[in-house]
Amino acid sequence: MTYLHSGLAAAWMMAAAAVLPATSVQAQDLELTITAPAGAGGGWDAAARSLQEVMMATGKARSVQVVNVPGAGGTVGLAQFVQGAKGSPDQMLVGGITMVGAIITNKAPHDLTKVTPIARLTGDPLVIVVPASSPYQTMADLMEGIRQDVERTIWAGGSAGGADHILAALVTQAAGIDPAKVNYIAYSGGGESLAAMLGGQVTAGVSGYGEWQGQIESGDLRALAISYPEPIEGIAAQPLKAQGIDIELVNWRGIFAGPDISAEDKAVLEKAVGKTVQSPEWQELIKARGWSDYYAPSAEFAGFLTSETGRVHSILNSIGLAD
Amino acid sequence: MSTPTASSLHRPTLVIGAALLALAFVTWRDASTMQIRAGYGMGADAASYFVAAFLALMGAGHILAAFRWQGDASPSDWKAVGWVALGLGSLVAALWFGAGFILGSTLLFAFTARAFGRKAFPADLALGFVLATVIFLLFNKLLTLALPMGPFERLF
Amino acid sequence: MDSLIHLMHGFGTALDPMNLMFAAIGVLLGTAVGVLPGIGPALTVALLLPITFKLDPGGSLIMFAGIYYGGMYGGSTTAILLNTPGESASVVTALEGNQMARRGRGGPALATAAIGSFVAALIATAGLAFFAPILVKVAVKFGPWDYFGLMLIAFVTVSATFGSSPLRGLTSLGIGLWLGLIGIDQLTGQTRLAFGVPNLLDGIEVTTLAVGLFALGECLFVASRHLFNDEKPMAIKGSIWMSREDWRRSWKPWLRGTAVGFPIGALPAGGAEIPTFLSYTMERKLAEKPEEFGQGAIEGVAGPEAANNASAAGTLVPLLTLGLPTSATAAVMLAGFQQYNLQPGPLLFVQHPALVWGLVASLFIANIMLLVLNLPLVGLWVRLLKIPLPWLYAGILVFACMGTIAANPSVVELMLLVGFGLLGFVMRRYDYPVAPVVVGLILGPLADSQLRRALQMSLGDPMILLQHPGSATMIAIATLALVAPFLFKGLARFRQDED
Repeated sequence: MTYLHSGLAAAWMMAAAAVLPATSVQAQDLELTITAPAGAGGGWDAAARSLQEVMMATGKARSVQVVNVPGAGGTVGLAQFVQGAKGSPDQMLVGGITMVGAIITNKAPHDLTKVTPIARLTGDPLVIVVPASSPYQTMADLMEGIRQDVERTIWAGGSAGGADHILAALVTQAAGIDPAKVNYIAYSGGGESLAAMLGGQVTAGVSGYGEWQGQIESGDLRALAISYPEPIEGIAAQPLKAQGIDIELVNWRGIFAGPDISAEDKAVLEKAVGKTVQSPEWQELIKARGWSDYYAPSAEFAGFLTSETGRVHSILNSIGLAD
Repeated sequence: MSTPTASSLHRPTLVIGAALLALAFVTWRDASTMQIRAGYGMGADAASYFVAAFLALMGAGHILAAFRWQGDASPSDWKAVGWVALGLGSLVAALWFGAGFILGSTLLFAFTARAFGRKAFPADLALGFVLATVIFLLFNKLLTLALPMGPFERLF
Repeated sequence: MDSLIHLMHGFGTALDPMNLMFAAIGVLLGTAVGVLPGIGPALTVALLLPITFKLDPGGSLIMFAGIYYGGMYGGSTTAILLNTPGESASVVTALEGNQMARRGRGGPALATAAIGSFVAALIATAGLAFFAPILVKVAVKFGPWDYFGLMLIAFVTVSATFGSSPLRGLTSLGIGLWLGLIGIDQLTGQTRLAFGVPNLLDGIEVTTLAVGLFALGECLFVASRHLFNDEKPMAIKGSIWMSREDWRRSWKPWLRGTAVGFPIGALPAGGAEIPTFLSYTMERKLAEKPEEFGQGAIEGVAGPEAANNASAAGTLVPLLTLGLPTSATAAVMLAGFQQYNLQPGPLLFVQHPALVWGLVASLFIANIMLLVLNLPLVGLWVRLLKIPLPWLYAGILVFACMGTIAANPSVVELMLLVGFGLLGFVMRRYDYPVAPVVVGLILGPLADSQLRRALQMSLGDPMILLQHPGSATMIAIATLALVAPFLFKGLARFRQDED
């Protein structure tokens, strides 16, 4: 999306950090660098900057710097991080489900097994909507429509292979139809797909709930379901699971440290991040941003990551984007 | 490099024609190895094939035109071009090796001024340094834009 | 007339002396940063946005409006004077504007750009205030087939920038189309021509191409010829103000440019470049002296500049009514709104009428402020050209490279910039038009993805393009425009090409 990144600065800092001897640090005098593998303004950038704000405000780190390394669903930033943050006690990377998908579809040289999971931070629901004029009133109507004519059930959402595409494929699969048949049209970001929805050119749309909240509240779009496992306060649409469709897909974001860091360094980072996200300041901030808390500590996050990677891979494989 | 007038074969046009054909070939190869197919409508390879055909047509047009060439090209001062290229190369190298924005820009400024016939190289270096430093301070400090860091940048 | 009352309230806020000062500061800053080659309006707004956060919402919105219009206007200054457009929407301005500057008419060129921008922004902002809700209903009905039709028209109009040889013009366009292929295909995720370089996966940045081809290419080219013909390109001849003749020739292009720019800018995938191409072609067709085109025709500056600014106001229509950012600048603006916890969208006009109408009023004020501040500055800008050539071009290169590094700090991006600079030089050296490359890079991917979206919706049936009246009409216009002059005259020229 935009413009103010400092990837080069990041590269050098990483290079410098790699040369300097890695020393263990205490939490309160952490001097961290967080890489946001996207341009300023996006979700990962916002997550990195929020973490920066709260870590510094609550004294969990002395200083935190955010650098943006945009490109290719985060895989450019990941590659740079894998090379530059090896064994480093003071560098972290933000990532999420989109990166898992991008690694697979782009056949990226490095995947998330190379880096050290520190914590899962937030998780946002995706929402399935239809235009206000659509004959479909419920999720069951939409599923029936898919069974009737999967070809003419046209979906709009974000980039090919992203979380939106995956959810459309999962719903098609749950309707008992081969997910490879899903007629999914990718748009750049929530804006253009929104125009296609409002113009009535497509049957259904998928996006992050927050992006279309305004249109859902004004009645221009009808929300059929959210993909979160349980109901969310303030969101009228019910989870797919509550509607008898066994799908959950959360647009989660997590934070990672570099490859091969020592157990002590990892413990320090884990503690600093864990305390930060349990602070009232963090809870207040994610509420203001419209995010949902989805914290999981390192070990749990690592297990989640493995299962998530397998799940994303198999669905991408079934829609022909991975082999 | 300057071409004689009214020659029957114009070499640059021929070279450009060959380059276009090569580009068309690369594009065609790339398209033919694509693996992801679109489920409905056209795939990503369609545009590649179109562009490859288009470039091939233009390449053929150039090769035909090269044999019927008349006219001449104005002379070029290749030394000046070399100086500018050296300046741009210095900036790229400065960033590549982490020498920073100020050093790279200073060299770019001085070499470019040299290309336009200035002989006072040290003075231009000084001027470039002042300009680059002012830009750096303005954008980095005032507008918090992260320009590449190097030894000079760390002084501020 | 609810809107009118709200607007009056808005003016009440904006005309506060303190706020007027913020508007003036915004315009000055926007112009000063936007005038640097390589720094377009999006980057200008992004750079200066943080400054506005320190003010209260009212004042900061007003300053923001000033920065927006100032940055927009500043971009055309270097395009005209130095042939180095800072962004793709000023590429067309450079075509005639720089020719005027070379003939000592830089002053009138800058003036017609400034006044044209003013007129266009004034009309378009009024259009935004009164027609946004209606316009947006039409805009979202615009399907991929319609966009494809629009792209076809735009493609045909590019031939106006080809210069003397269709072979060379088409080759330039082909190179642009080829560059447009590079990267991950949005619709399928398929990678095209990236050769394993990660930085290429997101495609070629239009700004990098435009700045490389124009700023770096121009500099290399001038350097290469400097020794042989010491053309001081831009000595000021005659008045630096517009003559009566200039006024007479400018006012219609201003209005026509506005008429093209505003509606296309309001389309969710319209953008700012296409209206400038269309306006240029239109002026060329309608000009009393079409032979002046390519030699510095004032219509070719007045029309596209008006179209550019009108489309900038047009992009605010989907932004404010749908929360839909349709240009890089609009995306940055969206970030600005979010700082005040405002979510642009259908409810914005209902929930925050005071702020929205305050913004619209600020845009009016900023626009007037821009004219007041910049007309006197025309003389100053033209004097820029008195800087000795070596320092002038050295400075341009430093700023152009800085702009690119600032937008995307990667060595690969800088190498691409330098590569495009060399390409621009070679193209100028052998007399290939440069603008079609930029056009190809912008239009190619758009036409590709819109056509494929249309075919995906019709399950592969191409007749969908002719079944919708809008796209059928546009395709017919494009075909006519292509067949009529190009087939009869163009082909004849093609045959005796390179004579």
